Amino acid sequence: MKQIKRAAAFTLALAMAIGMAACGNVGSKGEQKTEKVTNSNGEEVEVKVFSAFFAVPGNELDDNNVVQDAIAEKIGAKCDMKWLTGQTAEEAIGVMIAGGDYPDFVDASSGMARMVEAGAFIAIDELWDNYPNIKNFYTEAQWNSIRADDGHIYIIPQFGNIWDHDTTCVHNDEAFWIQTRVLKWAGYPKIETLDEYFDLIERYVEANPTMEDGTPNIGYEILCDDWRYFCLENAPFFLDGYPNDGCCIVDRETHKAIDYNTTPTAERYFRKLNEEYKKGIIDPETFTMNYDAYISKLSTGRVCGMVDQHWDFNDAENAIKAAGLDDCTYVPVGITIDKGMDEHWHSNSALDVSNGVGITVSCKDPEGAMQFMNDLLDPEILTMRNWGLEGVNYNKGEDGVFTRTDEMRRNSEDQAYMNANLCPYAYFPNYSGMDHDGINGCDPQHQATEFYDSLSDEVKECFDAYGVKTYVELCDPAQENEAWFPMWSYSNALTTDTPEGQVWADMASVKHEYLPKVCIAEDFDSAWKEYLDVYHKKCDVDGILLPAFDAEIQRRIDVANGK
Amino acid sequence: MFKDPDFAKKLKNQKSLLLLSIPFVVYVIIFNYAPLVGWLMAFQRYKPRDGLFHSEFIGLENFRFLFRNEDFILCVRNTLAMGIINLFLGTVCPIIFAILLSEFRFNMGKKFVQTISYLPHFLSMIILTGIVFDVLSMENGTINKVLMATGLIDKPVQWLAEPKYFWWIVAFATRWKETGWDSIIYLAAITSINPDLYEAASIDGAGRMRRIWHITLPGLKPTILILLIMNVGNVLNVGFELQYLLGNDLVKSVSETIDIYVLNYGIGKGNYAIGTAAGIFKSLVSIILIVIANTSAKAMGEESLY
Amino acid sequence: MAELTKTLPAPQTGKQRKSEDIGANTKHGIMSRRSKGDMVFDTLNTIFMIIFSIVILYPLLNMVAVSFNDGLDALKGGITLVPRVFTLKNYQTVLGKQSMFAAARTSVLRTVIGTVTSTMVTALLAYILSRKEFLFKKQLSLLYVVTMYVSGGLIPIFIVYKNLGLTNNFLVYILPGMVPAFSMLVLRTYMNGLPDSLAESAMIDGAGHMTIFIKIIFPLCMPVIATVALFTAVGQWNSWFDAMLYNKMDDDLTTLQYELMKLLSSVTNQKATAESAQHSTATVTPTSIRAAATVITSLPIIILYPFLQRYFVAGLTIGGVKE
Repeated sequence: MKQIKRAAAFTLALAMAIGMAACGNVGSKGEQKTEKVTNSNGEEVEVKVFSAFFAVPGNELDDNNVVQDAIAEKIGAKCDMKWLTGQTAEEAIGVMIAGGDYPDFVDASSGMARMVEAGAFIAIDELWDNYPNIKNFYTEAQWNSIRADDGHIYIIPQFGNIWDHDTTCVHNDEAFWIQTRVLKWAGYPKIETLDEYFDLIERYVEANPTMEDGTPNIGYEILCDDWRYFCLENAPFFLDGYPNDGCCIVDRETHKAIDYNTTPTAERYFRKLNEEYKKGIIDPETFTMNYDAYISKLSTGRVCGMVDQHWDFNDAENAIKAAGLDDCTYVPVGITIDKGMDEHWHSNSALDVSNGVGITVSCKDPEGAMQFMNDLLDPEILTMRNWGLEGVNYNKGEDGVFTRTDEMRRNSEDQAYMNANLCPYAYFPNYSGMDHDGINGCDPQHQATEFYDSLSDEVKECFDAYGVKTYVELCDPAQENEAWFPMWSYSNALTTDTPEGQVWADMASVKHEYLPKVCIAEDFDSAWKEYLDVYHKKCDVDGILLPAFDAEIQRRIDVANGK
Repeated sequence: MFKDPDFAKKLKNQKSLLLLSIPFVVYVIIFNYAPLVGWLMAFQRYKPRDGLFHSEFIGLENFRFLFRNEDFILCVRNTLAMGIINLFLGTVCPIIFAILLSEFRFNMGKKFVQTISYLPHFLSMIILTGIVFDVLSMENGTINKVLMATGLIDKPVQWLAEPKYFWWIVAFATRWKETGWDSIIYLAAITSINPDLYEAASIDGAGRMRRIWHITLPGLKPTILILLIMNVGNVLNVGFELQYLLGNDLVKSVSETIDIYVLNYGIGKGNYAIGTAAGIFKSLVSIILIVIANTSAKAMGEESLY
Repeated sequence: MAELTKTLPAPQTGKQRKSEDIGANTKHGIMSRRSKGDMVFDTLNTIFMIIFSIVILYPLLNMVAVSFNDGLDALKGGITLVPRVFTLKNYQTVLGKQSMFAAARTSVLRTVIGTVTSTMVTALLAYILSRKEFLFKKQLSLLYVVTMYVSGGLIPIFIVYKNLGLTNNFLVYILPGMVPAFSMLVLRTYMNGLPDSLAESAMIDGAGHMTIFIKIIFPLCMPVIATVALFTAVGQWNSWFDAMLYNKMDDDLTTLQYELMKLLSSVTNQKATAESAQHSTATVTPTSIRAAATVITSLPIIILYPFLQRYFVAGLTIGGVKE
């Protein structure tokens, strides 16, 4: 035993020594990487090659991507982009911070706060004087809301910056969705409340138990997988007519946060789900499905309706279209808990200050990196990023209007073609709304004529019945965003280091466990009571979480007012 | 031993062995022990910006947090339960399979079964989960169909929604995937049992079952013991992938393991210190279990690991 | 029964038995005198093996069928052993990725180099630890055994490897994990079973330890080395985590499994945001792609296995010989 102890002590000492020595960080400086690309005259030109890591899943471009090389030829730089795979954003970023070695550009997604805290980004506002496209990308007030605690700007939020006016045609947000065939069967009725919505589905499923090929119809699905359980839990604040603040209701008068999890509306909503579950309208397997299984079920076209964000089931809808089930795609219905209430399902795109791309301290040529982003915001380059190459990916009419042939449309949906040809530089700053030419939408999805032409006949018929031209018009028009909107950009950044973060985590844990139970309970009342009891016992929402929300709301109002 | 007068002489005699072993000592220290410095994190209020050497030390605070946390205790219970089921089935099934296979009389069939038995080992957990979902589905699942046909149940059971089935579903899925692969080592051990013993036994008129009981099993005993001791140390290492992929909110109270807890609360919420503390807890339990198992094996005069 | 264990001979080194002989015990004149009990046993055993084979094979063959089936059609369910709407699209998607060639090259290289070096080095360590006169054999064994249960965690390990210059470096596939404790134990057990006289007589002839190891011990251990090599090779071939963690930014060092992971996560479109979703359109489904990817990556190992199987079942023992 003695010699084992000695050996152990010796090993430990040695390991400590090596470990200590090895845990210090060594940075390396060198030359900016370059690469040769062939330009349109067949000459080789040298361009700078930057590297980027985006902590979200995405598609890697092929080498020699056509648009990427065309852009590189014009601006003298390109960027090699890597995406998140097989890890969470937090893990990937955590490892990066620990190693202290970064690619030139990083969008850390949910690891954002930690990147800034670790001092991994360089301050953009110290460099931006020579780069007007970047400096003018946001207004002074908007930049102020992006500033970190030390007053510097480290990231540029890439999305939701509208050029001219918003031209979006799709409701890419959350809604109660319903298949057009269900609406068609009932003669396109006006659906205003939760009760009417489920009533319609009940009647439809009773009258049409199966699809044409004999597959049984499913009335309603609830996705309840991990963070995607918003499809179950966050409907109550929408039903009360509030916008998607995500973590709470904000009273427009008092500017106080309200907990939506225990409101009378929440109780009525879950009671309804419980009833429908017992009637067999809700798929009995719904709470055991993971995301894959959910998408698979939706893809078959069997499911009449559900609550979801449009981007979350986009893949399924594409599959439905590809299968030729044109009457099984979804449209949003803007319902509330009672008749005659305003609804707020559609919001204008809001500046999400919690995410963005930054230049890291490992970048060997920060000026070049700034120049690169600045050039990407050039009108000509923007069109190349969002539309592709003229004559190849779109045609330009004499009036300057862009149109696409069917083949161009098909190409733009073919992943292999996209990887080899298109290069949207999707996670670099970009404009939405209009193209800088003032004629076209910023991209094909934002071009009303192009959009309507690409719809199926079933959807056009449905739109005509309701007298609309776009998905967005099916919901009430979006109102001006309040200064604090969206509050989810605050709650998403909470960590368990803080008491409010701890309550937030506990709350999620309780809701995950009890809400599905409430939905399938034999006796709703006792299950609801049990949920409330545990909820109040485990999470001090009123004492800790709501005050934290209140403070953040006030802070955002103050920032917006220039304080 | 260090005081042994002959020690120096002995050392000298095995100079070449010592020299040969030095690279191995250096290697294992660099690659396996140096990273243990990271354990310091568990005793700190760790901030990535401050790094390991400038974060504030807070003693056992992180451990205290863990053991006061009901969720973590639940995760420990689930991990233990699944670990013990896994230890038991993971020992018994491969042994039984190896014995049955070695007793299988058709040589062609034997090779065939053995070759297919390890195939599931190569499947990823995601594929395995897909298969489990298919088999247990309420709509077309084989299990429900078979049970309905035999009249054991009168309406389809929603297997994955019931907490009481979850541990067993995980256990059987793991067995389906690994039994063939795990049995390789036992099959090999059976091959090295002296054939004369079987000959002698059969001349004495011993039947098949008796030969298995009196020759094969004792022949396997050392292998079984060593693997058992090793696996006892792995009781808490039941992983997270399968539980995470198969689990859902209805069975949350039985499906979450320590590893899932670490993922959610440690890495997911940026709290590395908690994650590391949980990791240390696991390692300590492993080592204690191994030492107990090994010591008792030694005390009983049986095979031991070290 | 303890008596019996002790009388068991060491692993059969003289006459190595091939896999056909597994449990060949029944051959020795027993068959002619099968009792009723044996008949019952054999029948039940045969039935068990048939059921077992079906339970294992059916889901696998189903997966092969799905991999050749149209992705959308497969979602309707009901595919059994033959594809309903035959297509090669899934395979084309997987194999059509530009990076697949570089990835396959790295995968083959790391599997070959990693397996050869790991096996040699681990065998050398096992040899040292099997020398009964070696004073520190217990301590050194323990040092390695402990590594099976203790880990510094993802981030500390990353920092250490990074400072060793192992990021964006092929060696990160080879060096860490080069000496797996389990393989060492298996090899050591086998070597312990070899007669001491072999090494001793060579020693008297003036041979050094390296010579004895290379010329005498290593060749004798071939069966068990084949097994350990297979374990290592499977591990090397299947791993993708190290490629992601250490060599993410270097396209030349990507591996097959990592490329497949990327492919899957881009079709699955996990934690997508509104914007990224607009840029990912699935024409094949994750399920069908996954099936094709699994078939492609398992194939080399499945083909390789029967060749190794010849050696391998003989002599793989752990425990069984007292030190």
